[in-house]
Amino acid sequence: MVGWIGRKTSAGVAYASEVLYLGYLAIKELVSRSPRGRGEAYRVIARQVLFTGVDALPAVSLIALLFGVLVIIQAGTTLPRIGAGALLAHIIVLTIVREIGPLITAFIVVWRSGSAIAIELGNMRVGQEISALDAMGISLIRFIVMPRLVGVVVAMVCLTVYFDVVAVIGGFLVAKTQLTIPFGVYIHDIGSSLSLADLLITVIKAVLFGFTIALICSHHGLSVLGATTEVPQQTTRAMLYTVTICLVLDLLVTVGFYS
Amino acid sequence: MTKGEPVLQLDKVSAFLREGHRVDDVSLLVRHGELVALVGGNNSGKSLALRLAAGLEAPLTGMIRLLGVNPALAAETEYIDLRRRVGVVFDRPGLLSNMNVFNNVALPLRYHTVLSEPEIQDKVMAALREWNVEHLREQFPAELMLGDARFVALARAEILDPEILFLDDMLLGLDATGLVRLRGFFERMRVAGKTTLITSAGAATKLFEVLDRLLFFRNGRFVADARPAEVVQIKDPAVQELFGV
Repeated sequence: MVGWIGRKTSAGVAYASEVLYLGYLAIKELVSRSPRGRGEAYRVIARQVLFTGVDALPAVSLIALLFGVLVIIQAGTTLPRIGAGALLAHIIVLTIVREIGPLITAFIVVWRSGSAIAIELGNMRVGQEISALDAMGISLIRFIVMPRLVGVVVAMVCLTVYFDVVAVIGGFLVAKTQLTIPFGVYIHDIGSSLSLADLLITVIKAVLFGFTIALICSHHGLSVLGATTEVPQQTTRAMLYTVTICLVLDLLVTVGFYS
Repeated sequence: MTKGEPVLQLDKVSAFLREGHRVDDVSLLVRHGELVALVGGNNSGKSLALRLAAGLEAPLTGMIRLLGVNPALAAETEYIDLRRRVGVVFDRPGLLSNMNVFNNVALPLRYHTVLSEPEIQDKVMAALREWNVEHLREQFPAELMLGDARFVALARAEILDPEILFLDDMLLGLDATGLVRLRGFFERMRVAGKTTLITSAGAATKLFEVLDRLLFFRNGRFVADARPAEVVQIKDPAVQELFGV
């Protein structure tokens, strides 16, 4: 048992070191002044923002609206019964802006873009595209990892803010039939309940989740050695680890800021 | 580089990737402008030897010098500079699946040079014309036949005018027309004398006639070095089997 725990711990440390080192190399590449391949890297960043951010808008809109309606109806109908109707806006900010917004957006990005990154890079390994890039002297970090990291982080921040707005405002408008509170009062209460720290923490979470998704999924995609059967295995692992680590990070940030 | 100057040296190189992919104690020398083929059957070690020679795998023991550089010990900038001077075509073409043919061939120019887009367009179209695949410029790799994909990969490998071109499994995916095109390319290389060619083949072919030397591999070992006309004199059974002697 002790041996098993020791092996798992050392494997976990080795895994974390590999992912963090990949992140270090990507950030080093991001701040590098070398002009080589910048244009191509920008093109990949633009494609990644388009795919992860813009193309995800319909899914994020629908899911944000559904979550917003559910939370607002539950809170809006239950709180007045216990004499806490005035806390509605506070509860909405607490649940949607602080927790649900960043987390659900991260899950959507993992399902759509994280899996796509792991599959794409795994297939590139199988098809010798990665070897070909190396043979052409094209840096995998500059051309593959860094643009995906930047693209996912940018898209993640924008999508999280978008999710919050759609869930808080759209959710209220849809749920209005079940509520008695006027829209103007609701918006005023939301504005009063929302602090700068809430917005800051939402952005911090979005950045952390974006980093986690891009790095872990890139790492697993690039870990494919050459067999087609490894691609789904690495993709499944990437998604599982990403979701778990996002939850742990969410907990750490929440405890760190609010406890 | 002047003609006859060593451009590639393997000194007692051994490497092991997985079962059937190993080379043992291989030493060989290739000079500037030579056209050389590594020849052997399946699992003979020729493809691994080619990847080692191209600096894409690190040996377990021994030393490799490619254009005067040891790839395994090169600093990052030196390694990237080396890669610019070397073209490689793998057995699978390795074209980027999310780019069309034109952008695949343009990629090394866009990454490594500061040429304008019109200049890049001219160079890419000239390279595609050389391989008679310019009509495929808008297509994506998944839409290409293997032979055409290999020609596109050759056009890409040549686009930076490399000093050495590595072409793994030269016969793969080629029909009779493709073989004629490849022979023409080898003959043009011979006349120009600017680029060294290191290719590999798993079967005897008439294309050997236009090469300078054949280096034979069996069970991961380098067993013979001969000019194409001298092959029949080699006593190694694997060589005799390949050539039906």
